[in-house]
Amino acid sequence: MKNRRKLFVSVMSVLMVLSLLVGCSGNSGTNAEPPKQESNAGQTEEKQGGEQASQLYELGKEPLDFTLFGNYEWYTMPPWGKDETTAWIKENKKVTIKEIPNGGNNVQKLNTMIASGELPDVIWGERGADVERLREAGMLVALDDYVDKYPNLKKWLDSKALNMLRSPDGKLYQFPNWYTNRPNGNAGWVVNKKIYTELGSPKLETTDDLYTYLKMVKEKYPDVIPFETDLAKDGHGIDQLYSAFKENNLSFTRYFAVPDGDKMKSIYKDEAFRESVVFAAKLFREKLITQDAMTQTQDQVKEKMMNGRVAVYASSNPTVNGMQAHSELTKKDPDAGYFMVWPIYKEGLDKNKIYPGTYNKLGWNAAVITTSAKNPEAIFAFLDWYTGSEGMTLQMWGLEGEYWKGLEADGVTPKFTEKYTTDKEGLAKYQSKMDPLMWVGNTVYVDDIKGKFEATLPDNERNWSTYWQYEITWKTQGDSTEFINLNPLPETEEGIVHQRVKDTWLKARAQALYAKSDQEALDILDKAHEDSMAAGFQQVLDFYATRWHENLKIING
Amino acid sequence: MARLTVSPDAESGMSLGNPKKKKNNFTRFFGQIDLQLMVIPALILIFVFSYIPMYGVLIAFQDYKIGSGSFLSSPWVGLKHFKAFFDSPDFNVVMRNTIVISFLKLIIGFPAPIILALMLNEVRKIVFKRVVQTITYLPHFMSWVIVGGMVSTMLATDNGSINMLLETLRVIDDPINFLSMSEYFWSILVTTNVWKEIGFGSIVYLAAIAGIDPHMYEAASMDGANRFKQIYLITLPSIMPVVTIFLILAIGNLLSAGFEDILILASNPALRDVSDVIDTYVIRVGINNYRYSYATAVGLFKAVISVGLLTIANYVARRAGNSLW
Repeated sequence: MKNRRKLFVSVMSVLMVLSLLVGCSGNSGTNAEPPKQESNAGQTEEKQGGEQASQLYELGKEPLDFTLFGNYEWYTMPPWGKDETTAWIKENKKVTIKEIPNGGNNVQKLNTMIASGELPDVIWGERGADVERLREAGMLVALDDYVDKYPNLKKWLDSKALNMLRSPDGKLYQFPNWYTNRPNGNAGWVVNKKIYTELGSPKLETTDDLYTYLKMVKEKYPDVIPFETDLAKDGHGIDQLYSAFKENNLSFTRYFAVPDGDKMKSIYKDEAFRESVVFAAKLFREKLITQDAMTQTQDQVKEKMMNGRVAVYASSNPTVNGMQAHSELTKKDPDAGYFMVWPIYKEGLDKNKIYPGTYNKLGWNAAVITTSAKNPEAIFAFLDWYTGSEGMTLQMWGLEGEYWKGLEADGVTPKFTEKYTTDKEGLAKYQSKMDPLMWVGNTVYVDDIKGKFEATLPDNERNWSTYWQYEITWKTQGDSTEFINLNPLPETEEGIVHQRVKDTWLKARAQALYAKSDQEALDILDKAHEDSMAAGFQQVLDFYATRWHENLKIING
Repeated sequence: MARLTVSPDAESGMSLGNPKKKKNNFTRFFGQIDLQLMVIPALILIFVFSYIPMYGVLIAFQDYKIGSGSFLSSPWVGLKHFKAFFDSPDFNVVMRNTIVISFLKLIIGFPAPIILALMLNEVRKIVFKRVVQTITYLPHFMSWVIVGGMVSTMLATDNGSINMLLETLRVIDDPINFLSMSEYFWSILVTTNVWKEIGFGSIVYLAAIAGIDPHMYEAASMDGANRFKQIYLITLPSIMPVVTIFLILAIGNLLSAGFEDILILASNPALRDVSDVIDTYVIRVGINNYRYSYATAVGLFKAVISVGLLTIANYVARRAGNSLW
């Protein structure tokens, strides 16, 4: 009796474990199924579409379903059709987009999809190595024909930028995101208003002024961080310090190299860089920079900012924390808060040639259409519409009737309603909700419209970050378009050297900050230079130079 | 009651030694079919996830490019990637860190849960014992991201609780930048690891201790052995087989010095000289740069050494009487 019961129990438990196993595999099976069916269905549709190839694809004439993969570990797409705007698009344009989730491990998921050949229809992510790998494997659809055929991307994207987006085979595969033709970006210097006023609003323009000011802060406010760098291990703060020591500095820390005539040379031999490293190490040694610069997390930075415990803050994107902290602090005390100053520069340099940050015309990242897409032209037609004025208006300001009503005579500028100015919080919430759905943002259009409207408002009603963008940051970002895409592909010979040199760079930059003396800081740089050269840095520098000249050729026509 | 239900099992197990019933392996197998069935899912799992993918190590000997279809069509390059690893300037640093960190973890992290288990076993108040057990094993369920965030906040120079405590106690005048100084990194890493895993690790030893026949303690105390003697003469020898098995497994893992913990705690690149171990090296240089063949070669190198270490450890243990196989 007992034995039989025991047998029953163990057989049951075995069955349960097995069913768990089967259940799991069953799940993944169903996950993998739908795209297959779609692509089957797609092939027949493509044939139909082929007959009328010369005509424009008309959005909304038939349902258009496609899948999208966001190639970032932090990315999750809000479900399509669950909010008013996407529901409207689904209803009127008959477009349905389904996310292929990356499960927080985008690299692995993308590799699995490439290896198994089951690609999503659209991949959205960084330009560069991933795109090149896909292209080399013949998995991407060239967009050249479509660009000419459809109106919006052609209209808004600078033709030189378009040429720079081309892959080595001369074709265009990438649909850019937040592309532009004029300076943008937020890098710069934020100053605590209350502390600044209490210290008598001293001159704060040059690096010497900065040093004196930080010392004053340290003396009078022992609990305040004189200079906050944000995550310095990623270059925040210390890159801005470097920018102060050199005119026309275009974020060369990205390549650990600076242009020298028509060649590139190691950054460790750049006088301005060496000066800035010595300066940063001095500030750090005297505890004028946050001592947690290299180890802190975003939360720690935010906490300090929100509590007004930071006197000067520089990073490549200080406006996010700056805006939030400003609105928080001004709630209690209207004289508190933060403001931005013109970029700090070394005495003797032209302050109009100091760039704490850079921009490039290609924008942030790009979307590519893969060969798995049943009707790539239809997808392009949608993206083109989405990046045009109608699509952008929906993404930024929602459906007609709430924040805007009707269009101006030009047919593209929405007329903003009263609610646009009164319900700023609601609008900000809407935009941050839509942000993950903005794959093909059109910077020029959005900034134009925003700027035109903001200019009509009195100063105190203007949005903090928009205000400082117009006043300072957009005027002080350098155009680094000629210096993009210089990096070699990782698995090539240059790529392997590049990786080694990059390791040395990250280590040296961090160690130099902790240097006990000026000489030690310089020794660290010299050592890093020797190590890099020994690893074959010259080869990479030559590679950079070649790519740079190719870029210049495209830009200069 | 519990003992009664267990005894038939023990008997049938014992009866295997009986020459009468020891006909052949098949009879033996079907005699314990209920137990054997329970092993099957585990076998399937190991087969599917550990054995089937194993042929993939072949890419260590190729120049594999993802997206080029079946990897068998990639060109064969022999030991190129192994040579590249051994010749790389990082090799010495990476190997030294791997070995030092795992030895530290072994020497400090391995005995810690045993000591905790022995201590908990001596606690008379059941409630207190349970509370301590729960508190010590909870950190095991926290992800390293959370633990890393806690550690970096606690050790921060600005408002970090450890620095504030030391300053209040007048041990130091200025806050110490714990997470940026290479000389502190190994201690922080090992301490955090012990804190996170000590409770969970002690569970298995507590279970082993619970299986010791109470009569032995009674007999020992009759003979006048105090509690320390009882621990030394009864508890420790009784759990020795379990300890040995775990030690063998730990030695097999000697080259796995850790991965997530180091990745998160050593976010400061200035620490690279003391923090880079094989696994972090593989992800940084190999996986993140699409050098799959290189990553596989380094991983294979690690696996071969590990199997070797495991075999040696097992051989030594077998001579001492307790071994895995």
